[in-house]
Amino acid sequence: MNTLAKLATVETKLLVREPGAVFSLLIPLFILVVFGGAITEGDTVLLPMAVTMAIGLVGLYLLPTTLATYRERGVLRRLSVTPVRPGSLLAVQLLLQLVLTVLAVSLLLGVGIGVLGARAPGALVLAAVFLCGTGAMFSVGLLIAALASNGRSANGFGVLLFFPLAYLGGLMQPADRMPDILALVGGYTPMGALRQSLHDVWSGVPAPLPLVVMAVYAVGLSLVAARFFRWE
Amino acid sequence: MAIIEAEGLRKRYGDRVVLDRVSFSVEEGEVFGILGPNGAGKTTAVECVEGLRRQDSGSVRVLGLDPLRQGRRLREHIGVQLQHTRLPENIKVWEALDLYASFYERARDWRGLMERWGLADERNVRFGKLSGGQCQRLFIALALVGDPKVAFLDELTTGLDPQARRATWELVKRVRAEGVTVVLVSHFMDEVEELCDRVAVLDRGAVVALDSPAGLVDGVDAEYRMSFRLLNGSDASVPDAEGLLGRLDGVTSVSRDADLVVVVGRGDFTSAVTASLARERILVGDLRIDKRTLDDAFIALTGRSLQA
Repeated sequence: MNTLAKLATVETKLLVREPGAVFSLLIPLFILVVFGGAITEGDTVLLPMAVTMAIGLVGLYLLPTTLATYRERGVLRRLSVTPVRPGSLLAVQLLLQLVLTVLAVSLLLGVGIGVLGARAPGALVLAAVFLCGTGAMFSVGLLIAALASNGRSANGFGVLLFFPLAYLGGLMQPADRMPDILALVGGYTPMGALRQSLHDVWSGVPAPLPLVVMAVYAVGLSLVAARFFRWE
Repeated sequence: MAIIEAEGLRKRYGDRVVLDRVSFSVEEGEVFGILGPNGAGKTTAVECVEGLRRQDSGSVRVLGLDPLRQGRRLREHIGVQLQHTRLPENIKVWEALDLYASFYERARDWRGLMERWGLADERNVRFGKLSGGQCQRLFIALALVGDPKVAFLDELTTGLDPQARRATWELVKRVRAEGVTVVLVSHFMDEVEELCDRVAVLDRGAVVALDSPAGLVDGVDAEYRMSFRLLNGSDASVPDAEGLLGRLDGVTSVSRDADLVVVVGRGDFTSAVTASLARERILVGDLRIDKRTLDDAFIALTGRSLQA
């Protein structure tokens, strides 16, 4: 336990020193605040977009870059010649990235609801959608980490995936203003499903389909990632 | 007592044989070298011993344990410095030592290690800002923080400048003086000659020789030369140096240019020459023996130079 606590402490410090972590917190917040003037109490669009973006940045960009860099630098390999399993480091990292995501989303909700005056959604429904969406997005990140040969290519994959997914997911422009076929396809992408579910959370009760889509991504991609993951 | 016993290790990747019946044993307290050119299988052999890689056949025992089946218990007692591994860019020196110390049941005091390995001034420096020599000191300290019985050091001085290499050699001697058995993987002759008690020479996956560095050098049956100047030296006082020395065991040729004599031979001909000179009361100066090196030994064993 002492080992895991120490590992968590050090990894937290490293995460705080990582500029990417700060960006994942600030970029969605910046967008929320810039467009925040448009928020009314009945708004169901802007906050879901910002929350989806925050989860996407951590899952597609920060998580895979960190893991692939650790493998590239031999950090995981070095651990495997100590009494500690390198899997512990992965577990600690996943947990920290989850904590960071919770922080980013809480920050957005705090500002969106507290300052900009958006309506507060049901906590339980929100938590369920958040977990499904984070699971889906992290599994994409794990797959990138498994396939990328080093930190820089993981970063590249993440950026390359983020923009098309963000577009299809309706983060660049509202889904009802997109061509029908793209909006339809977008509903089956991890980001699109998450944004749709969050939209449902604010406007009523989440439909089952986007939740199922996210769960399928989370389980399926995680399995593929585990199959292809290399320690060195 | 043998601390490491490797017996008949074989390993192949596809149809490329990386290890071919590699056997060696390492005694407690010695510095054991594994020497060979890049791609000879040195690192693979050591990784099998550390339990990082599974050999196709053959057996390994380290401290009486099987590295594959009893890896976790074994790793409490070995310290490893791996080739090509780094730490996270932003971790500070003290954080790395503190973290690694927490991995072991009986860790050494990492603050003491930090002092001892000259890292106290760098305690708050991030890994990415350390010099090559400082990195190596930190890696050695991390390899020792679990108070290991055996330390594996893989290509410790590759990429360091000559001064930092010399300094690192002193560190290895200190590790040994602390009673830790050391397995040193290297492709540098001078390093192995300076540090190792015994050396296994690997070439194309096979052990081609296993001896002390001096033993390996003595085993080379190649010609070498000695030269000296005759001091009480008018030609008349030493009428026939060529004749006198040419008859000695091992001497293959003697040549003389005024008072400079060059003798070429094999084996231990130099002692015969000096004894003979003393017997005849011939005073000489400027005595030079072209020392044979481990490099010569390697060429004799494998037919090619190590650095090529």
